Amino acid sequence: MTGAESATPAMPAPSGAIPPGMVLQVEGLSLAYPAQRGRPPVQILRNLSVDVRQGSSLTVVGPSGSGKSSFLRCLNRLEEPTSGLVRFDGRDIRSLDPRELRRRAALVPQSPVLFDGTVRDNLRAHPAAARMDLSETRLTRNLGEVGLDAALLDRDGATLSGGEKQRVTIARALLADPEALLLDEPTSALDPPNAALVIQTISRLRAARGLTIVVVTHQPELIRRLGGFLLYLVRGEREAYECLEASVAPVLTDARLEAFLAGAAPAAVTRR
Amino acid sequence: MTQSAGVIALSPWQIGLAVLLIGLVVAVSARQALGLERDLLVGALRAVVQLYVVGLILGAVFASAQWYWVLLMLAVMTAVATQAAVSRLKQPIPGGHQIAAATLASSTALTLAYVLSIVVRVRPWYDPQYVIPLAGMILGNAMTSAALAGERLQAELRTRLGEVEARLTLGFSGREAVEPLVRSALRAAMIPTINGMATVGLVQLPGMMTGQILAGSSPRLAIEYQIVVVFMLAAATAMASLGFVRLAAGRYLTPAHQLRRYLL
Repeated sequence: MTGAESATPAMPAPSGAIPPGMVLQVEGLSLAYPAQRGRPPVQILRNLSVDVRQGSSLTVVGPSGSGKSSFLRCLNRLEEPTSGLVRFDGRDIRSLDPRELRRRAALVPQSPVLFDGTVRDNLRAHPAAARMDLSETRLTRNLGEVGLDAALLDRDGATLSGGEKQRVTIARALLADPEALLLDEPTSALDPPNAALVIQTISRLRAARGLTIVVVTHQPELIRRLGGFLLYLVRGEREAYECLEASVAPVLTDARLEAFLAGAAPAAVTRR
Repeated sequence: MTQSAGVIALSPWQIGLAVLLIGLVVAVSARQALGLERDLLVGALRAVVQLYVVGLILGAVFASAQWYWVLLMLAVMTAVATQAAVSRLKQPIPGGHQIAAATLASSTALTLAYVLSIVVRVRPWYDPQYVIPLAGMILGNAMTSAALAGERLQAELRTRLGEVEARLTLGFSGREAVEPLVRSALRAAMIPTINGMATVGLVQLPGMMTGQILAGSSPRLAIEYQIVVVFMLAAATAMASLGFVRLAAGRYLTPAHQLRRYLL
């Protein structure tokens, strides 16, 4: 356990009993890439355990290369953990159809990927498109949710700005009515005004849709506005895990985490 | 049916005079300081030796005219084509040899069977005079086409990785996610065949036609065979590249609809 003295997250319940309101439960998650073509094996994640309550948020911070993106990708099973367990809505994700899991826990990657075609074509790109309501009305409303105008529907995706692309990607993910949104550095490729817009969008969406949010970010503003839990990952291990009250100046009890967020390089880490 | 006018036989002396042509190439390399003289001589020597060996084997197979020798020869040709196709790929694919062997063998067998039994109506079906050259042409083209498609698939997977994973995260299956890339790879493999068909005979006479005319066949007969060959190759290359790319794409996906990124 870490040295966090503030509200410690509830321990995962013994298998079988699902604690009310826990959407994501990660137990002892480890990820390693085996030795490949002359490259030595790489340990990406080590024995990670976290929980995310329904409707709340988990912010993941840490230095580059700590495995933050890999952590997200394990949650929606884009990566297969080497050991450990991830539960979504009480069920082992290996017992779920990965396609269904990914619809319910929508991942928004760091660099937005738009497919060839218009924004409308992109919003309609879903495997279950035939069974979904993808009418103009819904698309317009959906774009409005992320702060974009309906006039964008006819625009070619390639002509959009970075911020617009990012928000269209979020909108596209939302059309499948996910329960959780997993965002990988949603603002890192954006200029400050666009970053601010995306941050606003995310916190508004969380409130409006009761979404569970897991976000990898460096943005202090986003961390502050989301509140919830903060996971500090260093070299694939859980260095700190704290609960933040969404306030003006969140109080952190882990000195290393505080230093990291203030801009200091992570100090030498003592192995447990 | 046309009579074959006698072909002018070549004496070793006459072949030697042709070898002088290589001497010209070596001289060009030396003069231009290309440093290719050794490679040229080795290449020329290999060509002569390999062709002589193949000639001896073909002579023996033709003389025996037994179906099992013909089949054995086809098997060896397929194995060589498989190795050539797989070695063209920039990154190895697990099970690549099996996939290549299966697709090359089946596309060749199907096309060959159709041409031999229904189009040309060769009796017996294993007549080496027909089977070996036709199979050779099919394998050569199918191998190139499959390798081209495979290379293109790998290149596309590398550059469009984000797009594939974007589809996966939206809940598309692995197959659906790579579908646009598979299509792109198939187009890349089939366009040379289509272009070839469109320009055949306009720029140069195809090799097979040339050989047939040289051997004394009438141009009309040679052309008729060439038409058959052109369509035969189009079908075989389409089947080979389709089979290869579909199977290869499958190797990059897991049952849990994940992309095996480490293979790229």
